[in-house]
Amino acid sequence: MDFEFSDEQEQLRDAVRKWVDKGYDFERRRAIVKAGGFDRSVYTQLADLGLAGLYITEADGGMGMGPVEGMVVMEELGRGIVMEPLSHALICGGVIGGYAPAAVKSAWLPKIASGEALVVLAHQERKSRYALDVCETKAAAAGEGWTVTGAKSIVSAGDQADAFLVPAVANGKLALFVVERAAGGVATRGYPTQDGSRAAEVTFKSAPATLVTNDGLAALEHAVDIGIAATCAEAVGVLDKTMQVTVDYLNTRKQFGVALATFQALRHRVADMKMQLELARSMSYYASLKLNAPAEERRRAMSRAKYQLGVSMRYIGQQSVQMHGGIGVTDEYIGAHYFKKLTQLELTFGDTMHHLGEVSARMQDTAGVFA
Amino acid sequence: MDLAFTPEEQKFREDIRAWVRENLPKDISGKVFNSLHLTRDDHQRWARILGKKGWLGYGWPKQFGGPGWTAVQKHLFEEECALAGAPRVIPFGPVMVAPVIMAFGSPEQQQRFLPGIASGEVWWSQGYSEPGSGSDLASLKCRAERKGDKYIVNGQKTWTTLAQYGEWIFCLVRTSNEGKPQTGISFLLVDMKSPGVTVRPIIMLDGGHEVNEVFFDNVEVPAENLVGEENKGWTYAKHLLSHERTNIADVNRAKRELERVKRIAKSEGVYTDTRFRDEIAKLEVDVVALEMLVLRVLSAEKSGKNSLDIAGLLKIKGSEIQQRYTELMMLAVGPYAVPFIKEAMEAGWQGEYVGAAYAAPLAPTYFNYRKTTIYGGSNEVQRTIVAQTVLG
Repeated sequence: MDFEFSDEQEQLRDAVRKWVDKGYDFERRRAIVKAGGFDRSVYTQLADLGLAGLYITEADGGMGMGPVEGMVVMEELGRGIVMEPLSHALICGGVIGGYAPAAVKSAWLPKIASGEALVVLAHQERKSRYALDVCETKAAAAGEGWTVTGAKSIVSAGDQADAFLVPAVANGKLALFVVERAAGGVATRGYPTQDGSRAAEVTFKSAPATLVTNDGLAALEHAVDIGIAATCAEAVGVLDKTMQVTVDYLNTRKQFGVALATFQALRHRVADMKMQLELARSMSYYASLKLNAPAEERRRAMSRAKYQLGVSMRYIGQQSVQMHGGIGVTDEYIGAHYFKKLTQLELTFGDTMHHLGEVSARMQDTAGVFA
Repeated sequence: MDLAFTPEEQKFREDIRAWVRENLPKDISGKVFNSLHLTRDDHQRWARILGKKGWLGYGWPKQFGGPGWTAVQKHLFEEECALAGAPRVIPFGPVMVAPVIMAFGSPEQQQRFLPGIASGEVWWSQGYSEPGSGSDLASLKCRAERKGDKYIVNGQKTWTTLAQYGEWIFCLVRTSNEGKPQTGISFLLVDMKSPGVTVRPIIMLDGGHEVNEVFFDNVEVPAENLVGEENKGWTYAKHLLSHERTNIADVNRAKRELERVKRIAKSEGVYTDTRFRDEIAKLEVDVVALEMLVLRVLSAEKSGKNSLDIAGLLKIKGSEIQQRYTELMMLAVGPYAVPFIKEAMEAGWQGEYVGAAYAAPLAPTYFNYRKTTIYGGSNEVQRTIVAQTVLG
């Protein structure tokens, strides 16, 4: 039992933090939002740092690292409210690496690791909400390969990605495919999202597809769990910054002749925010440290973590805005953008109510960190 | 980073588990599992069993006859005891006064007092709070005047837990009114059999006799019972507070009680009720998150790299969880929490229960546990401390 980061992990953190501080300040981010919410050159820079290949073996061109490194990286990207969806590189690298046949691995993993291919998970449908076993998209065998027909919703950077990791029902069972955006029969309708980044509705009409695995539900659950752990870590980064700007503001802003930080009504709320922050950080650690656990244990852990993070994000986000007063609800202030990011992260990979339901359904007689 | 305990720690846990299973009397754990009334004898029996093994002072260093365990080992010991249904170690002797005597007491005091604490023979009480000094403890007035080789103590302590059993009491007393209130306080050990000491029960809202008022009327205390220096008592008391950081969260007991919430909810047919079940699910996440917080503190202590200054958070969250599980158990039995049959809270009662036997102590326990957010520095005081660390 040890929660200390290794020197290598600290170095990784420093490298990402330096990149964020230099390459992704608030002005740069604002420009990207204005230009549509996605900048391929930013994504390439992340890949150049090795981050897109974090979960890809060195043999396939990646870094061969694990969930703790993924957590460190996502925390730092969260601190910079970076919009380019690195979490999807972690998901697709991890799942293709873990479930795909050798030919598919060698076709995609080096490209994902280098940043040449941005592959994103496209799993949500109009009727699925957060459920992973609800899927109307169908796959059909076509000669040696497959085609996919259906529609996926709110796909991260969907009109910018090079390919999608797509769950579809093949022969009555969920399977996972890679579909290229440039392939025939693929159409995208992109739009901005609340946090300033991009998503798209993606439709497939007999689009040519490569089978990743027939064990689609297990692979999709794993994919989403990698996404949940990444989202929790990203959230911790955003929460740290939210807390920091709030504390700075309370110590600077004066009303009635004194700093806001002198008012006990606000001080006690800051204590409650600190509580939520440390519970969130604890459960983000928990999620990442359980990411390689057996599926049942892993799923339970992710839902517990995402529930806690959801509670923490909403509380800290809302309180931060409230304690900033008017400035907190303006577009010019960075705190408002933290709040919107936190809100969107809550709605990503299952919101708080959804995961409470999951925790509830998965409860055992005994419970604890190790059960 | 690694969630798992080391093989050595795991082995340690198994050894403790086996020993506790072997040595904890079943009648005692039966009472603990069902929130039934524990007598002085129950507490003393378990204390002496631990004492004989050298584990009553489980936090003590080897130098004073303790096992010299690491923070992680202490945690594992507490966890195994809690999960097995052991009564809480009455902390006043082994956990509270002993570390102060070790750090600030004279060699004579150490030789005189520590053996009786380690063996569980001598019952200690804590004399801190006074009628006018709760959260603002430094304002305390109970006075000790030096007369030759004695102190003459006059005043009153209150909320003195289980003082009806107490043989000795460690007190914060005022020895000076000069300077700041904190600087005129001394740490005094008082034999409760001394003439002039009167213990009067305070019956709490659950009908239990858990706390007392203790009156001191010209009580003569030998000057050799002063710990450390006169007027330095506040520093010693603070040392005591900083000594135990993680067990204040009581997460191990919370894990055991969460299991009981589920058992009772199942038995009462509300475990399948979505609204009720979701409330248990929330508590489950709270318990896991608190456990992670505790493990982080232990890890930080183990590495010595950083100190996590979150004792206040542990107290707040731990106490809120304690209240919540007592509340959910009461709500699980619903109307069967209403009958108040005091005898039904004693083990082995032969009368006729109203509803299930487990229902009888649930409302009183709920009432009793309102204390947890009040004692040990109220949660509002804790929030003030936490805010200080964040905002400066």
